Amino acid sequence: MSTDPHILPNNLSSARLPILRIEGLTLHFDGGQTKALNGVDLDVCEGEFVAIVGASGSGKSSLLNVIGTLDIPSSGELFFGAQPYSKIKDTSLFRRENIGFVFQSFNLISTLSALDNVIVPTIGCAGSDHEHKARAESLLIELGLRERMAHFPGKLSGGERQRVAIARALINRPRMVLADEPTGSLDSDNAIQVLDLLTGIVKQQGLTLVMVTHDASVSARADRVVRMRDGKIALPVGAYGDTPELIGGAP
Amino acid sequence: MNLFRFALNNLQRRPARTSLTVSAIALGIAAVVALTSIAWGFEASWQKANDARGTDLIVTRAASENTMPSPFRAEKVQQVLAALPHVKEVVGLLSEMLTVSDDAPPVFVFGWVYSSYLWEHLKLVEGRWPNASAEPVVVIGALAAEMLHKKTGDQVEIEGKSFQVVGIFESNAVVENGALLMTLEQAQQVTDKPGKVNVLNIKVDANTTEADLRNIKEQVKMTLPGFVAITSGELVSQNAVVRISKAMSNATILIAGLVGALVVFNTMLMSINERTREIGILLALGWQRGTIMKLVISESVILSLLGGLVGILVGVGIAWGLEHIELMRGKIDAIFSIPFFLEVQALSIVLGICGGFYPAFKASRLLPSSALRQE
Repeated sequence: MSTDPHILPNNLSSARLPILRIEGLTLHFDGGQTKALNGVDLDVCEGEFVAIVGASGSGKSSLLNVIGTLDIPSSGELFFGAQPYSKIKDTSLFRRENIGFVFQSFNLISTLSALDNVIVPTIGCAGSDHEHKARAESLLIELGLRERMAHFPGKLSGGERQRVAIARALINRPRMVLADEPTGSLDSDNAIQVLDLLTGIVKQQGLTLVMVTHDASVSARADRVVRMRDGKIALPVGAYGDTPELIGGAP
Repeated sequence: MNLFRFALNNLQRRPARTSLTVSAIALGIAAVVALTSIAWGFEASWQKANDARGTDLIVTRAASENTMPSPFRAEKVQQVLAALPHVKEVVGLLSEMLTVSDDAPPVFVFGWVYSSYLWEHLKLVEGRWPNASAEPVVVIGALAAEMLHKKTGDQVEIEGKSFQVVGIFESNAVVENGALLMTLEQAQQVTDKPGKVNVLNIKVDANTTEADLRNIKEQVKMTLPGFVAITSGELVSQNAVVRISKAMSNATILIAGLVGALVVFNTMLMSINERTREIGILLALGWQRGTIMKLVISESVILSLLGGLVGILVGVGIAWGLEHIELMRGKIDAIFSIPFFLEVQALSIVLGICGGFYPAFKASRLLPSSALRQE
């Protein structure tokens, strides 16, 4: 196994091209006093499931935010396919067309039904209301929420809420899903169920999944595990059981 | 779910705040509707009264801007006017607002030249007209009869002199319907203004052109210093009361617009501050900044349109109520029209956009990652 983050696992490199390339990425706050990311290099292949692990404050969520264009890097460059992030004029449009977010705390809008929460990202997009509604219903059915579409988040269990959030992340047909501890607020049964659904649907649709997690059982399912420490990638860990002790060592 | 429904949903989250904001806008709009409709109605009712009489030109003192122009001695002026080309008839009119009953507000008392053309547009519904210029009788408008509780055969006391009511008439103009009418001679006597009139009404012959009317105006200006010949519309628009009420209505529009915009501004700014995290979520989900602006401005426009709608209804109610209170009955005739209501709603939209613009801009500039960190 190589420790070069640009070198992909053998079974991936030949078959898939990098959808995401990160080079020398830094993210500083407070005029450079706080260094959230401190020189990150990473490639992620199309269709790959990459788990990012590391201690709290190691820069996992910051990395996810920069990949998702929610934060602007201080230096370095990212490429989505061949497109450099620095050349993206409309980051909102980029997110809408390419990225789906799943948050730990669901971030559903409490006054909208499950169905409307899934439809929200389509507002302002091409296509009719009817088409958006039909796709939202189809996703919710696929995620086992046929009977819960009209319910408001307050009436849904944690697992159901996260399934609504997954449907919402997928409604605009993104190429990459960024999940920030999606099972962090769930009990183990719900966590397994949500993870099964998320990884299943992502694999079925050929999407790339980058997931921040503290849960060893979650990262164990990833194609590749990347450990972060002090704003850097400590060691890219090849999947398929290469170094289970490292994975297991994640706090 | 679309942008409009989402905006509506956001407003329904805080029903108390939404209702208060709508009420504040509605109050301002109601004041605009009531004052403007009354100002227009006041102007229109006087113009209608002048037009109904069939008067082509009115001669009055040039400097007079009162509700009724200052009285002047008519005889010499009348002679000069009668000699002008195309002038068919010149008749005087005297008007005073007088108290004729202790339990009723003051009413207009008109004195018109006996058997002149001024009387022709009135419809007698009961009794008869005065039989002679010197007959000490009055005919009263239907509304005045109702207000004063008088009928044919009753007596009314004006300035200490008793007059018999010999007839009741109706007119298209509310100011005439609410007035008492007697011959000019009687009006001059009872108001102690012998030989005086407020205005002289000129009726021209049938083949008079616009150029001829302009010529008459010029002739009056040259031959009668201190006097002016104007149309009924010009007389009303120069009227001080009409001008003051129009100025008040314009000032109210300005104040209501400013207050409305500030109320919307405050409400939307509070709403945006409370929803910072949610806006962060929307941005993270790929909402464009323009869509965030549209959402916030949609909410502020919905608020102001609702306020406008309620304000129109309340304003119409206030104007109707003012029309019917004893003090104002027969003096104003509020005017409402669909174009006016559309203008008011356009004003509401403008104040909604103005009030919502900065909060919308602020919301659209939020950095998604910072907004998502907000609790």
